Amino acid sequence: MSYFDWAILVITLAGIIFYGIYKSRTTRNLDGYFLSNREMPWYMVLFSVMGTQASAITFLSAPGQAYTDGMRFVQYYFGLPLAMIVVCISFVPIFRNAKFYTAYEFLEKRFDLKTRTLTSFLFLLQRGLSTGISIYAPAIILSSLLGWNIYWTNIFMGGLLIIYTALGGARSVAYTQQLQIVIIFASMFMAGYLVVKYLPEGVGFFDALKVGGAMGKTNVITTGIKPDGGFDWRDKYNLLSGIIGGFFLALSYFGTDQSQVGRYLTARSLRESRMGLLMNGLVKVPMQFLILLLGVLIFAFYQYHNAPLFFNQSEISKVHNSPYGDSLRSVQQAYDRVDEQKKELMQSLVVQKGDISAADKARLAAINYQRDSLRTVFKSIIAKPEVGGDSNDANYIFLRFVLDYLPKGLIGLLIAVIFISSWGSIAAALNSLASTTIVDIHKKFINKNMDEKADYAASRWYTVAWGIFCIIVAQFAYNLGNSLIEAVNILGSLFYGVILGVFLIAFFAKPVKGTAVFLSALLGECVVLTLFLLNEHNIIDLGFLWLNAVGAIVVFSLGWLLQLTFLNRKPFSARI
Amino acid sequence: MLTPEERPPIFKSWNTWYILVALALALQIVLFIYFTKYFS
Repeated sequence: MSYFDWAILVITLAGIIFYGIYKSRTTRNLDGYFLSNREMPWYMVLFSVMGTQASAITFLSAPGQAYTDGMRFVQYYFGLPLAMIVVCISFVPIFRNAKFYTAYEFLEKRFDLKTRTLTSFLFLLQRGLSTGISIYAPAIILSSLLGWNIYWTNIFMGGLLIIYTALGGARSVAYTQQLQIVIIFASMFMAGYLVVKYLPEGVGFFDALKVGGAMGKTNVITTGIKPDGGFDWRDKYNLLSGIIGGFFLALSYFGTDQSQVGRYLTARSLRESRMGLLMNGLVKVPMQFLILLLGVLIFAFYQYHNAPLFFNQSEISKVHNSPYGDSLRSVQQAYDRVDEQKKELMQSLVVQKGDISAADKARLAAINYQRDSLRTVFKSIIAKPEVGGDSNDANYIFLRFVLDYLPKGLIGLLIAVIFISSWGSIAAALNSLASTTIVDIHKKFINKNMDEKADYAASRWYTVAWGIFCIIVAQFAYNLGNSLIEAVNILGSLFYGVILGVFLIAFFAKPVKGTAVFLSALLGECVVLTLFLLNEHNIIDLGFLWLNAVGAIVVFSLGWLLQLTFLNRKPFSARI
Repeated sequence: MLTPEERPPIFKSWNTWYILVALALALQIVLFIYFTKYFS
């Protein structure tokens, strides 16, 4: 990176921190610290909800996902607008009218203390670990591409935001998220514009999409039906899994995860909470579509230009220095020859203009098949124990393009985008972890009689403590292997379904009482973990998104069953 | 009866907003199907 890029990076990050501190003036009590005195308008709720959900991985991984697998990942979000409607109808009025700080307070009112504590514990466990991985995932990418020390990158990625998050609580989180979202989208649009601008003369936006489409990258809608006619349950992203699995995931996330509940409880009225969430339902799918479209444009760009054999250069260096250095050289030579053939074919297409003929499509597909095969050979070398590298380079595609082709200044800005998009989601997570700890644990079991001043001081310390905990988790996250984004999503799916099941019983199964729901939650968690392990050992085929639906349905059904069969009997004395 | 603070903007009822969000999703899916077919 040039000095100019460094300057842009430092100025942007410092600007966010100072803006967060500037906006940190708030009432020194729980209402002010965790809920911004419930005074936010709907658009602040929208920015906050979007900033919490979209982490750095969203912006790094999605373009790479479209480059390698096409745009079908957008289907993952199809259930979200429907979940927003259910949250607005069932969850928001109850949380708001009772003036709760956390979603789990409601469970004590509806059931009992043990159910509230179990659910808040599951949330703290899941959110604490996944926030640690959310720090590590972008940190390892920046560290690999720019040669930064991973431990220091983790500390910068997860540490600097603690300053304004601990000082200003939810108010600082919301205002910085607003600024972060504006910077992120302005930078992504600029990157998209430059990709199209750098295409050869005579090749425009639609031509690039046609090239991407010819190679199967514009596959926004897929059915998940196998060639033999059956439904592929292991397929992660298709219309059905997106609508049903995505609905349960989004319902759990927005209805029961305090990192989101805490955002829309900051609204000044029920109307503002609902409008923020419904607007999120309207803009989320198009937003993801545009981010994925950027990946397709980058794919088209690399059809006209030389594409690297592997986008993570540090892994290539590892292979060079291993016993497989000669194998790398022969694969690289073969790849360069195929890449040249591809460029020649694409040049002839530019001269011809118009639609790509069936014959040219077949030639392009054959060349890309050869390229992909050589990439697969190289990935198998990286995965060998003697090399011990990360064979997944999807997360590096967008940043590699940024570093190789974008002008000075914009590189620094896009690196800053990685930091601030991380900060948006991590800050909200720390705020929610602290609120759940103080409200659902500390004030229930450690000190029940705290005044406002003590509440406020303890809340700040818990924010700092959770920040340090998450950085420590990030420092050990390399043990999780290569697929970090999937690790975060799977971790969520292991707990979300069960937590959602408890809330669904609370809202829609009035006769079911505390003991039944507590036991069904424990049994439901066992079922989800068992299914996950069976899938991991290839005994069953089940994509992780389905675990959300299974967890919720099992807890809901078991709760009814236990209540009606074992727990509904009146005491012996009452029957006499 | 909804209080002034609970009334939705623009429309008379929240149900209209919910239908709008669901219809927007349906429209997006239809457009995506067209997009997939057009460019593939």
